[in-house]
Amino acid sequence: MRGHAVLAVLGVLCVFPIYWLYATALRRPEDVYSQNPLPWPMSLLNVVDAAAKVDVVGLMVNTTAVALLTALGQLLTALLAAYAFAAWRFPFQRLLYLAFIGTWLVPFQVTMLPNYSLLLQLGLLNTLAGVVVPNLCSALGVLLLRQHLDSFPKELLEASAMDGRSSWTTLWTVVVPNVRPALAALSILLFINAWNEYFWPAMVLQRSNAVIQLGLRSFMGTEGNDWGPLMALAGLACLPIFALYLVLQRHIVHAFVRSGLK
Amino acid sequence: MFVELAPPVTAPVGHGSSTGPAGPGPVVHTARPARVRRLLHAVVPYLYVAPALVLLVVWTYRPLVQTAQLSFYSWNLLPTSPAVPVGLANYERLFELPDLGDSVGRTVVLILALLPFSIVVPVLVGLLTREVRGRAAVVYQAMVFAPMLVAPVASAAVWQWLLDPGSGVVNRVLGTSTNWLNDSSTAQLAIIVITGWHVLGFAVLIVSAGLAGINGDYADAAAVDGATRSQITRRITLPLLSPTLVFLALMTVLLSAQWTFPLIDTMTQGGPADATTNIYYLLWDYSFRSFDAGLGAAAGMVLLVGFGAVATALVWLSDRLTFHDN
Repeated sequence: MRGHAVLAVLGVLCVFPIYWLYATALRRPEDVYSQNPLPWPMSLLNVVDAAAKVDVVGLMVNTTAVALLTALGQLLTALLAAYAFAAWRFPFQRLLYLAFIGTWLVPFQVTMLPNYSLLLQLGLLNTLAGVVVPNLCSALGVLLLRQHLDSFPKELLEASAMDGRSSWTTLWTVVVPNVRPALAALSILLFINAWNEYFWPAMVLQRSNAVIQLGLRSFMGTEGNDWGPLMALAGLACLPIFALYLVLQRHIVHAFVRSGLK
Repeated sequence: MFVELAPPVTAPVGHGSSTGPAGPGPVVHTARPARVRRLLHAVVPYLYVAPALVLLVVWTYRPLVQTAQLSFYSWNLLPTSPAVPVGLANYERLFELPDLGDSVGRTVVLILALLPFSIVVPVLVGLLTREVRGRAAVVYQAMVFAPMLVAPVASAAVWQWLLDPGSGVVNRVLGTSTNWLNDSSTAQLAIIVITGWHVLGFAVLIVSAGLAGINGDYADAAAVDGATRSQITRRITLPLLSPTLVFLALMTVLLSAQWTFPLIDTMTQGGPADATTNIYYLLWDYSFRSFDAGLGAAAGMVLLVGFGAVATALVWLSDRLTFHDN
């Protein structure tokens, strides 16, 4: 019972701000300052209000595109690199692997200025491509997939090589089908990260109407006290992730836990 | 601690046309000279690593070197104005200004204040709730984990609303009228609590996973020998959990300032009176608000050395102090 009590209290504390976000968003505009724990009568007027002020659909489409492309790119580069690290032993392997791990010591703010000027030179500043391209390699992805592939039965790789299959064919016909759960979990994790990313889009995109996190921020700056529409937009910014979570809860939790354990 | 080499593998050979740049056709490999084949064979793993590695070099290591160079120049970010070499002047200025020391101090406070959220409470919760299983556990897990999924800007928005001095829930519940985010004595506390709210559920999950991975036989054996519950916890469970704890500490140190950045940028902009300017925000401020690229770069280099030292120390500690259940 003690365990249940502790977890229930903690769970309620954790969920309350999220509940309040949606509760406020769903109140009638004249009830926004109400402290009634139940948003009743409910209304979607705040959502309508937010949608009138920013292009919600456009923001969602852009953010989805950026998050999908980033996650897919990271998944692909990580899969190829992790396959190499797990399937072969080659000179400088350890050093190369450390180069991936080492990126965790390099905070984003240390590299932002040269990256910013490179994007400028490439003409990618202010474009969605400029948000995606610098983020196509995920050290976390390489690390997690390598852990999975290391436990992949080597006999299967050998058997595939003896069948005369190339390493490329082996990767796609033997390895990938067998680690599909790990790939799925990792891709969800990468998608969530990309969806919630704030720092880099804020630097690259001057237009505030490009991705949802920036649209939300511009809303906060100008109409900080218009709580109803602000909560509606914030709620919309989180909605796809929560929906994904409700559907795929077990996989997402496993992905996060695995990302935490070396 | 991070690197474990794979056991020796007989490599799958890249025979097909898709791997080797010189592969003229799918079935001609028997005709290829042995030396060329060996060379191709040796190159194959590098080809797979190449895409990720190139991205890493272009977007992490190249800019790192450039930042190091930039720290010896004076430049205001304008493409039209040249960067002037100034030797060590940026570093001298950096150490003369009080900003760096102050922001490092605030970063240390931030990290220490986050440790209860990322280690102490998760361990207590983990120990108290080991017997909770099944459907209830899944529901609790979903609840504590949910904040991790909230976008930082959205969480900044909702917390600003909760902390609103006039009609925010926090003041209503506490019966106060504190202006949490605009008062230099409470702004940092607010940032800490919000960040803690974000990471708590994640840390609880990690600790639970760590506890679940501990073999129950040790505790059973100790119990047979007459050990009490608290003795078992202190002498067996916590030492076996120590790799997880060191990992969480490492993560808190390396990522906490990073976690807080979006919150600070959207809620306080480093204020009031610099009360929430930590080292990451200072870097941003130097480069993109004061347009002093050289000073920003120098601060970045100092930060990198500092974090490198802390991380090395923690990895060393974890190798020395932790127990592995092999």
